[in-house]
Amino acid sequence: MRAVVLLSAGRHPLSARPAPVPVEMQAIALARGLGADVAGLHAGAPDLAVREALGQGMDRVTVLRIGEADDAVAALAAALAADPPDLVLAGNRGRGGEDSGLLPYLLAEALGWPIAANAVALAAAAEGLAVIQARARGARWRLVVAPPAVVTVHPAAPPALPFAYARARRGRIEEQEGRSAPLVPRVAEERPYRPRPRVIGVAGGGSAAERLRAATEVAGGGRVLVDPPPEEAARELLAWLRALGFSRSADE
Amino acid sequence: MGPAGAFVLLAWILLASVLVAGARLVLRWRRGRAARVDWWAGLVALPRRYLVDVHGVVARDPRAARMHALTAGGLLGSSGLLLLGVVPALRAGVVYWVLVATSFAVALAGSAMVARRRRPVRPAHLSAGGFLWLPVWVFLYAAGGLAGAGAIVLTASPGLGFAAVVLAAVGGAGLVSGLLTGPIRHALAGAVHLVAHPRPGRFAGRRESALLPLDLEAARLGVAVAEDFAWNRLVGFDACIQCGRCELACPAFAAGQRLNPKKLIQDLAAASLPPGARPAYEGSPHPGAPPPPLAAGPIVGAVLHPDTLWACTTCRACVAACPMFIEHVDAVVDLRRHASLEEGALPEKAAAVLEAIRHTDEPEGNPLAARGDFAAGLELPVLGAGESTDVLLWLGAGAFDLRYGRSLRALVTLLRRAGVAFAVLGAEERDCGDLARRLGDEVEFARLARANIAALNARRFARIVTADPHALHVLRNEYPDFGGCYTVVHHSALLESLLAEGRLTPERRLAGRIVYHDPCYLARYNGETGAPRRLLDRIAPERVEMARHGLSAMCCGGGGGAPVSDVEAVRRIPDLRMAQAREVGAQTLAVACPGCTAMLEGVPEPRPPVRDLAELVLEAVGEG
Ligand code: SF4
Ligand code: SF4
Repeated sequence: MRAVVLLSAGRHPLSARPAPVPVEMQAIALARGLGADVAGLHAGAPDLAVREALGQGMDRVTVLRIGEADDAVAALAAALAADPPDLVLAGNRGRGGEDSGLLPYLLAEALGWPIAANAVALAAAAEGLAVIQARARGARWRLVVAPPAVVTVHPAAPPALPFAYARARRGRIEEQEGRSAPLVPRVAEERPYRPRPRVIGVAGGGSAAERLRAATEVAGGGRVLVDPPPEEAARELLAWLRALGFSRSADE
Repeated sequence: MGPAGAFVLLAWILLASVLVAGARLVLRWRRGRAARVDWWAGLVALPRRYLVDVHGVVARDPRAARMHALTAGGLLGSSGLLLLGVVPALRAGVVYWVLVATSFAVALAGSAMVARRRRPVRPAHLSAGGFLWLPVWVFLYAAGGLAGAGAIVLTASPGLGFAAVVLAAVGGAGLVSGLLTGPIRHALAGAVHLVAHPRPGRFAGRRESALLPLDLEAARLGVAVAEDFAWNRLVGFDACIQCGRCELACPAFAAGQRLNPKKLIQDLAAASLPPGARPAYEGSPHPGAPPPPLAAGPIVGAVLHPDTLWACTTCRACVAACPMFIEHVDAVVDLRRHASLEEGALPEKAAAVLEAIRHTDEPEGNPLAARGDFAAGLELPVLGAGESTDVLLWLGAGAFDLRYGRSLRALVTLLRRAGVAFAVLGAEERDCGDLARRLGDEVEFARLARANIAALNARRFARIVTADPHALHVLRNEYPDFGGCYTVVHHSALLESLLAEGRLTPERRLAGRIVYHDPCYLARYNGETGAPRRLLDRIAPERVEMARHGLSAMCCGGGGGAPVSDVEAVRRIPDLRMAQAREVGAQTLAVACPGCTAMLEGVPEPRPPVRDLAELVLEAVGEG
C-alpha cells in the first residue's frame, strides 16, 4: 500500500518558527503502522518544517514548487491524480496558516475520492480501509472507506514517531515544479462568528437538570435504533429532520 | 642450568606472555575509532600521572594505597630484577638475590592485604570471581620467588630451588592468564590509558570537565557499538580494576536506579568482545535491571538497559572517585548522542523538552521575553546590541520557575544595593543548551551556543554573572569550542567579593545551623567550593559540613536531564541528600543552583528550609 502524507508549512504557536504540525506527524506514524510505503507531499516553498518531518519516520518528501498566490489544492490534486496512491493522509487542520481544515475536503472533491475525517486508528479491512473516527466526547466510530481515499487525522491519534536528527539528515526532498493555478477565493460568504443556534427540545417543561442539558447540549431526542435496516434508518432521519423543519423537500 | 638460571628464564617467559597478551589487547583496541594522541607528551608524563595523579586518588583510602603499593611494587620490582638477571655476573652475586628475595617479600605482604580486603565478608562494592583468585596467584608467585631466592642465598639444595621455581611459575601463569579478561588486565590497559588518555587535561591537578564537541558531519553520530568508541576510550574501559569507588559515589545507584557506574564500565569493556567471550562479572549489578540478552549488536539493548543510560545525572562523582581516571560521563553522553540523534530513542519527557528547545529555544517552551517576569517591580535593565555594562546577568532556565524567581529577585536586589552595574540579555538570552547537550542533542546545543555567542559578542561587558552553575559551566567551559570566551562568575563568588569589599554589609548574623550543599557543576565541574563557604562564614556563625561535601558532595539528582528522563527508582536522590543534611542537624540547607533548589525543596516536610545563598545574604543584609 502506498500512502502520501500531506505536509504543511507549520509555524510554532509561540515562537512562530517553522515547526511541523503535530497531527501531521501523527499521520506519518499511522501510515507506518499500516505498513504502508510512506512519502510526504508539500505544495509551496521548501520549508524547514517539512525537513523536520523527515526526522519523524518519513524517508522522502516531494515539494511541489508553486508561488505564494497559487492554489495548493490544484497543485496537490494534479500531482496526486498523475500518480495516485492508495491513501492520502492529512492533519485535520494546519497550524500557523489559515487553519480552516478545509484543504483535505477540497482535495478529495477535486480528486473525486471519498474522505474520512478525524481518524485515530487505521487498519486494513476486507472491504478497504477501516478508519476509527474520533467523535465528540470520546466516542469512536468505525468506518470503512474504499481506496483511494483521503483521511484526515485527529490529535487523539497515537503519538508521532520520535524525531531523530540523523534521519532528517538522511531523508530526501525532491523538488518539482507544481501546477500553478491562481487561488480563487472559495468562501462564498464571510460573516462574523456566532454560536450555532441550538434546537431546544425541552422548552419550558422538564426538570431543572433537563432544561439545563437542553440549553447547553446539542439537541438530542428522537429514537435510538440499533442496527436498523437502511430504509428504516433513512425514514427515521427524514422524519426527524422534517419534524424540526430542516428538510427542504418535505413532500417527497 | 641451576635454579638461578631457571628463575631468570621464568621471568623472561612471563615477559614474553605479557607482550603477547599486550599485542592481543592492542588488536582489540584498534577496532575503535581513530583518536589523536600526543604519544610523546603522554609517555613523558606517565611517571607523574601514575605516581602523583593516580596515587593521589588511590591514597584517599590509605589501606588500599598501601595494598597497591606493596603488591604492584613487589611484583614489578621482583620481576624487573629477575629480568636483569640475564647478566650472568649479576645473578652470581648474593646481594642480587637478597634484593630479589626482599621484593618478593614485599609482594607477599601485598598479597596478604589483597586477600584481607574481602575477608571475612566481601564488601558489596568489591567484585568476587577472578578477584578472589588474584591474591592466590600473587601469593604463589611471591612465595615461590621468596623461597627460591632464599634457597639461592642460603645455598640450599638445588631441588628446593627448582621446587620454588615451579611454585612461582604456577603463580605467574595464573597472573598472566588474567591479562586479557581478568583483573590483572588493568595493569597493562592502565599504563596505556595513562599515556593515551582522551583528556590529558585531567592530570596534574587540572580539571577538564567540558564535554567534547561531536563532529556533526560524521556518518554515524555518537556510539552504537563498541567499535564506535575512540580506541583510547576502549583502553580506558579495560583499565577498570573494579574497585567500586564509583559505585559508592553514584547517586543513581544509591537510589536503586538501573545504573551502577562500575558495572557500566565493565559492560562497555565486555561489549567489544563477542558475546561468548565476555568475562563473567561478579560485582553489584545495575539495581533491578533485567539481565540483557547475551547478544551482539548495539550496546543499548544487547548489553545495557536504556534506563541505565538515562539514569545518569552527569554528576561526575564517579569520575572524580575513579583512581584509573576513567571517563564514565563521556561514555554515557556518547551513547546518549547516538540514542538521541540517530534513533530519537529518548524518554518521553526528554524528547518533549528537546522538541520545545528546537522550536522555542527554551526547554519548557516559555516565551523568551517572559524570562524577566520574575523581576516584576524590580528594575531589570536589558542590554541592547552595541551597549555595554559591567556585569551581564545570565538568568538561566530557573528564571521561569516561580520558586527560583525568589532567589533571583534576591540577587537582583543585592546587585542594586551594592551598586553593581548590570543588565540582562532579555529576549536575546536563549537556553544555554546544557540540558540539550547532556541529553545527547549536540545539534541543538551547537545551535543554541552559536545563537547565544552571537548575542553576547554583539554587546560589551566585563563578566557574566549567573546563579546557575549549569549555565556557568557551559558558558565558561563549553562555549570556547564554539568561539565564545568569557569571564564567567558564579553569584556566590560575586556576592562573597561584595561582602569582602564592604559593598554589602551584613546587619545581622543568621541563626541556626547552616549546611551548604555543593552543586556538582560548581564544585566537581569547576572546583569552586571556597567562595560559597567563605560567604556563609561571613553571615552565619554556625556552619557545618555534611560527610560528603566539596569535591565529593552527593548530587541532588537534578543534573544531566535526569528529572525529565524520570527513570524508575526505589528511593529519590534528593531524599537521600536531605537525610545527609538532617544527619548533621541542618536547620537551614543552603543551595546555589536552581536545580538543587527544585530537587531539595521537593523533599517532603518536615525538613530544613532550602534557601539560595542570595536569599541568605539578603536576609543578613536586611531587606532594607
Ligand atoms: S571505573 Fe574506576 S572507580 Fe569504578 S570500579 Fe572501575 S576503576 Fe574503580
Ligand atoms: S555521573 Fe553521577 S549519576 Fe552518572 S554514573 Fe557517575 S556517579 Fe552515577
